[in-house]
Amino acid sequence: MKVSKLWLDKFFDAPLPGAQTLADTLTFHAFEIDGVEKVGEDDVLDVKVTPNRGHDCLSHRGIAKELSAVLKLPLTNDPLASRSDLLPKTTEVTVDIQRTVLCKRYIAGYIKGVTVGPSPEWLKTRLEAVGQRSINNVVDATNFVMFNLGTPLHAFDAHKLWGSPTSPESGEVGLPQPLGVRLAKDSEVMEALDKKKYTLKDSMLVITAGDKAVGIAGVKGGMPAAIDESTKNIVIESANFDGVSVRKTAQALKLRTDASTRFEQVLSPELAAYGMQSVVELIQKLAGGELKGYADAYPEPQQPMYANVTVEKINNVLGTHLTGAEVSDAFTRLGLAYKEESGVFEVQAPFERLDIMIPEDLIEEVARIVGYDKIPATPLPAFSGEVEVNKNFYAAEKAREELAGQGYSEVFTSVFADKGERMVLNKADSVRPYLRDSLVLGLTEALAKNKPNKDLLGLTEVKLFEIGTVWKGGKERVMLGTVSEKQKAFEKILEPVDAAAYEDLPLSTAVRFEHFSKYPYIVRDIAMWAAGDADAEKIIRAQAGPLAIKVSLFDRFEKEGRVSLAYRIIFQSFEKTLTEAEANAAMEKVSAALKAQGYEIR
Amino acid sequence: MAEEIKRGHLHPISSLIREANTIFLQMGFTFAEGPLVEDEVHNFDMLNVPKDHPARDMQDTFFMKGEQGAVLRTHTSPVQVRYMEAQIKKGVKPPYRVIVPGKVFRNEATDMTHEAEFFQIEGLAVGEDVSLAQLKGTLEHFFKALFKDASVEIRFRPSFFPFTEPSVEVDMRLVGEGAPEKLRGRWIEMMGAGMVHPSVLQNAGVDPKQYQGFAFGMGLDRLALLRWGIDDVRHMHSADLRFINQF
Repeated sequence: MKVSKLWLDKFFDAPLPGAQTLADTLTFHAFEIDGVEKVGEDDVLDVKVTPNRGHDCLSHRGIAKELSAVLKLPLTNDPLASRSDLLPKTTEVTVDIQRTVLCKRYIAGYIKGVTVGPSPEWLKTRLEAVGQRSINNVVDATNFVMFNLGTPLHAFDAHKLWGSPTSPESGEVGLPQPLGVRLAKDSEVMEALDKKKYTLKDSMLVITAGDKAVGIAGVKGGMPAAIDESTKNIVIESANFDGVSVRKTAQALKLRTDASTRFEQVLSPELAAYGMQSVVELIQKLAGGELKGYADAYPEPQQPMYANVTVEKINNVLGTHLTGAEVSDAFTRLGLAYKEESGVFEVQAPFERLDIMIPEDLIEEVARIVGYDKIPATPLPAFSGEVEVNKNFYAAEKAREELAGQGYSEVFTSVFADKGERMVLNKADSVRPYLRDSLVLGLTEALAKNKPNKDLLGLTEVKLFEIGTVWKGGKERVMLGTVSEKQKAFEKILEPVDAAAYEDLPLSTAVRFEHFSKYPYIVRDIAMWAAGDADAEKIIRAQAGPLAIKVSLFDRFEKEGRVSLAYRIIFQSFEKTLTEAEANAAMEKVSAALKAQGYEIR
Repeated sequence: MAEEIKRGHLHPISSLIREANTIFLQMGFTFAEGPLVEDEVHNFDMLNVPKDHPARDMQDTFFMKGEQGAVLRTHTSPVQVRYMEAQIKKGVKPPYRVIVPGKVFRNEATDMTHEAEFFQIEGLAVGEDVSLAQLKGTLEHFFKALFKDASVEIRFRPSFFPFTEPSVEVDMRLVGEGAPEKLRGRWIEMMGAGMVHPSVLQNAGVDPKQYQGFAFGMGLDRLALLRWGIDDVRHMHSADLRFINQF
């Protein structure tokens, strides 16, 4: 989520430390930061809010609260600190939730006589900083409060909601009908604010006015009641929709919105009231109007949530020696109300912190506030249980050693294949969707691929093996397959081997991977009778130049007191395909230099 | 010249697994394994990743065609549950210590740093007082043994995984002359880890009131890339001896 530094500042008495400090603070105590970007005067942090904190931290207030706890700065302007009742109540708007399982709360706020117009500069700047486009003062106010508190809001044009075209006094608001929350009818179509028509299913929740769908619950508002320049009276929605339902609807419609991503994380229904009061206040400030009142359908209010933990348990899990005072300090800074009795902390989570349920949740809170750097590195004590030798791994290791000893190198080929008994449903690249039923094909392909590089690799024969899983005869099993230039690919089941202990086997001694060229190479051999003492290989390397990537003596014999040497030279470029002419030119230089040193080229 | 058989080469991942097994064995960890085609119950549900929960978005999953509830495992973590279940069934109570190296799958487009199939190594230690501090100690020991010539620092950052609570990201830093130049002094994200969520223990039949444990899951391909300065993860499944014979 994009978070504006200037926006965060508003929660505190004094400006916060610089953006980089904030990024580091969050990184080590709360969330990863994907980036910090300068936007005008502002710095915008891209905060990767984890799925367990979507309840409260997809908001500037949530992030401000985290910073307040970690940096020990009081959150002086906390919009969630206190709330007055939703008053006055009104009967001009009524709410009827048909599915309270999917909608725990629905608050409608009714304001008459607003003036829709452009937003003030401060609001435009804030929204633009977090990547939003300013639309008008009313819509911007709902967006602002969503990014501020994390609870989505929506404003309907009351006239469009209720003013039916058949109304006798056209242009006048018709009889207010209840705002309904019901499941859509199968194939019901609604045009959303993005001007696209969505065909709904009977598993999707909609908001209705007089049974006409005016919004896809928790996802997007509808065109039928869109706010425009002529809007005078508005109904604001601040509701709580079921996370799974919103998630499925947004996925099915391919319509993920800022609202749906918040609802699908599951929000507290309590938050809806704060969102409503906050947006009504802001709208009246920006667009005027008279608040007629609220209708609040909230059949089962959220119950307080408690979790208990002892200092002993915290230290046992973290491996620390924290004191009760340090634990209290962490809870206090996070705004977690607690009672302490003989080392047991009973914590009442703030309503928005739906993630705090079990002792371990509290342990995590303590750990991140104290700081993970305070956790020591302690060795595990000696193991009192039994350490077993894994029969399959032992067998695989044994096979590896045997085959490596016979000159075989190990490959891993893909488990995905063009044919097989079983297949995956949703392969991203849609090629090779089957799971292989044999290693043979992969090994055969690998052999063909490596054969042309034999000289480059300095091999007389390419020999490969693979230990890998196949799916055949309804079973998943591990096979051992081999292939070489002399022997066709062959595989057998890797049978487990019993052993009392693993053997001490060699590890790779490689230090660093060396890049290799993707261009073809050229091989040249040169044979000669030696006459002088000059080092032939040195001469060859010097004359053949850097394109000779490999020079090796492949034959040497003595005859009648003379020594014959044969070298193989491999030419290859990192930049291009070499031509025969380039190799020939290099070889001519090599021959000339060798001759000059007394070698007789054969 | 006499024809002598040159020793073949092990795949670098095999060499890493061999080395990791040796290091963890000394700390009492048993090598464990599990199926690659896994059921959603073990891959997700028992690991505290409920259906239709945003946490499932964290991993792109391959689903099997015509096999309801079967997936290619997205991590080695289901083996945690399988191992504990099997032990409880045998009547063997904790302490447990296992490592699980193996292949895992993510349904994503491949590029230089992402492969649809890759290797992970999972670690699990369960006992009466296995702690987050011991996780730090264990990982520090592992990396020190692996990067012998450098001094190794480990740090934790807060994170979230449904199957651990608390959850951390583990960063490593190599310092000193022995550290590969490209890595020297730089913090590198190595893995996700944490304390096994009590629900996961419960689901596997281990009493979370009596036992607790740590778990970690690290990408082996990534570790190989860092260790040997390999620039492209696609070499791992290339079956190209120009790559493999360097190890």
